[in-house]
Amino acid sequence: MNAKASPAEIFSRFLPLTSLLLIIIVWQFAATGGYFGKSLPSPVAVVNQFVDMLAEPVGKTILGGHIWASMRRVLTAFAVAVLIGIPMGLLMGWNKKAEAIIKPIFEIFRPIPPIAWIPLAILWFGIEETPKVFICFIGAFIPAVMNAYTGIRFTDPLLLDAARSQGANLRQLFKEVAVPSALPAIFAGLQNGLSLCWMCVLAAEMVGAEEGVGYLILRGMDMSNPAMIITGMLIIGAVGALIAVGLRYVERWVCPWKREISM
Amino acid sequence: MEARNIDVKSEISCQHLYKSFPGMDGNVTEVLKDVNLSVAKNEFLVILGPGQCGKTTLLNIMAGLDSSDSGEILLNDVPVSGPNPNLGLVFQRMALMPWKTVMGNVSMGLKFRGVSKKEREEKARYFINLVGLSGFEKSYPYQLSGGMKQRVGIARAYCSDPEVLLMDEPFGALDAQTRYMMEEEILRIWEKAKRTVVFVTNNIEEAIYLGDRIVLLSRCPATVKAVYPIDLARPRQFTDSRFLEVRQKIADNTDLAL
Ligand SMILES: Nc1ncnc2c1ncn2[C@@H]1O[C@H](COP(=O)(O)OP(=O)(O)O)[C@@H](O)[C@H]1O
Ligand SMILES: [Mg+2]
Repeated sequence: MNAKASPAEIFSRFLPLTSLLLIIIVWQFAATGGYFGKSLPSPVAVVNQFVDMLAEPVGKTILGGHIWASMRRVLTAFAVAVLIGIPMGLLMGWNKKAEAIIKPIFEIFRPIPPIAWIPLAILWFGIEETPKVFICFIGAFIPAVMNAYTGIRFTDPLLLDAARSQGANLRQLFKEVAVPSALPAIFAGLQNGLSLCWMCVLAAEMVGAEEGVGYLILRGMDMSNPAMIITGMLIIGAVGALIAVGLRYVERWVCPWKREISM
Repeated sequence: MEARNIDVKSEISCQHLYKSFPGMDGNVTEVLKDVNLSVAKNEFLVILGPGQCGKTTLLNIMAGLDSSDSGEILLNDVPVSGPNPNLGLVFQRMALMPWKTVMGNVSMGLKFRGVSKKEREEKARYFINLVGLSGFEKSYPYQLSGGMKQRVGIARAYCSDPEVLLMDEPFGALDAQTRYMMEEEILRIWEKAKRTVVFVTNNIEEAIYLGDRIVLLSRCPATVKAVYPIDLARPRQFTDSRFLEVRQKIADNTDLAL
């Protein structure tokens, strides 16, 4: 960074902050001006609502409990999806027979949005935790499989040749070449899967739940408390972003050779 | 330098190699047509041929990565049927594993053969040092320049301790300056760790600078057009009159502006 930044540079550096500030000011005026009746709370009201919910339970638990409830569903589903999906994708990418068997089934289910499974999930698993975790699982499972699969399939044949000329057997080609070369694609799939998972949990919770961020939003609607809805929405955004950043750190740790590209 | 009698003991030889690939339009492209050559032990043989003539195809077959349609490769009188620890290959496009460090790349062949970590790192360190990359053991390929990457490729080929080193246009992707430096380097490394080298290039000066002998290939389908023993003392000078003489002689025999 050069020492002397021109006023124009300083201005452009603060531009994002300025626009954020602007939107909050406009929001504040819109809310206090009464153009939306009671349906648009002011930013201050939202902050107050947020602080209230930190200690004051909504339904069964306080805000932290609701976030944790959603997180728990997402993480359970994500873990199961990763544990089944990645090996399945790797197998499909490496083994022509496995590809021939699994791929067609997959192509049928792939275009169905995870949320479309909600009614079936409720019929099958009732209204407790299982259907919610199931929906999230579908959300994470598909990108986990697909990216592991394409990651392996796009292994550079030149690198496979290089390893073969160095004496690698089939197992070593898989472990030492195909899997590492698929890792960036796998991580992209996990990133994708996790954000899908997070969307799915909200949808599943809105259909019926007693805790979770989705429940908070729905509860805000029932109680005509838009501040609660907006708090819930902002929390969804914040948690989603945090999850993405966290996963990127894991990726940088697992794939140090990609350090120059990521971020 | 005394002239070598290459027929005394040929270490690796190609016998009547033919190879063709099915093309997109249903026709087959003939790439190798009755290629015969033999390389003496510790000889530095250069294969010179125009681009797209089948040099990579030939070297891949010699390395056991691909098979010929007919004919065979003999390594110490034994046919080559697949990758062989006695055949080390340096790739035109480097082909380093991006996720492995310099150490990991150089020692991968030993790892595949189940050599213990301590032993393989010791050996790899020797060759990393030989190619002048000491201190870069923990670097990843993306942190290295083109010339350094190809040094890793050379060290990797050496590290499995092959009898024959096959080098496919190893300096083709380098800028001219780095290329001259690497040409000197490869001779220094070879003098220090003598192996049989088969070095492919499309650059006539590089061929004359390096080779004990030059095998000139024709355009596709490749076949051996002529063989030139180069009995100029090393280090050779590009501007030396005898160098230029040889260059002229070879250039006259090519239908391309090499
Ligand atoms: N796997 C392949 N399939 C089809 N054609 C190929 C294949 N490999 C090489 N060729 C063709 O063979 C010819 C020679 O290729 P190559 O051996 O790479 O030449 P060089 O290394 O001399 O530039 C080219 O025309 C190329 O298109
Ligand atoms: Mg080539």
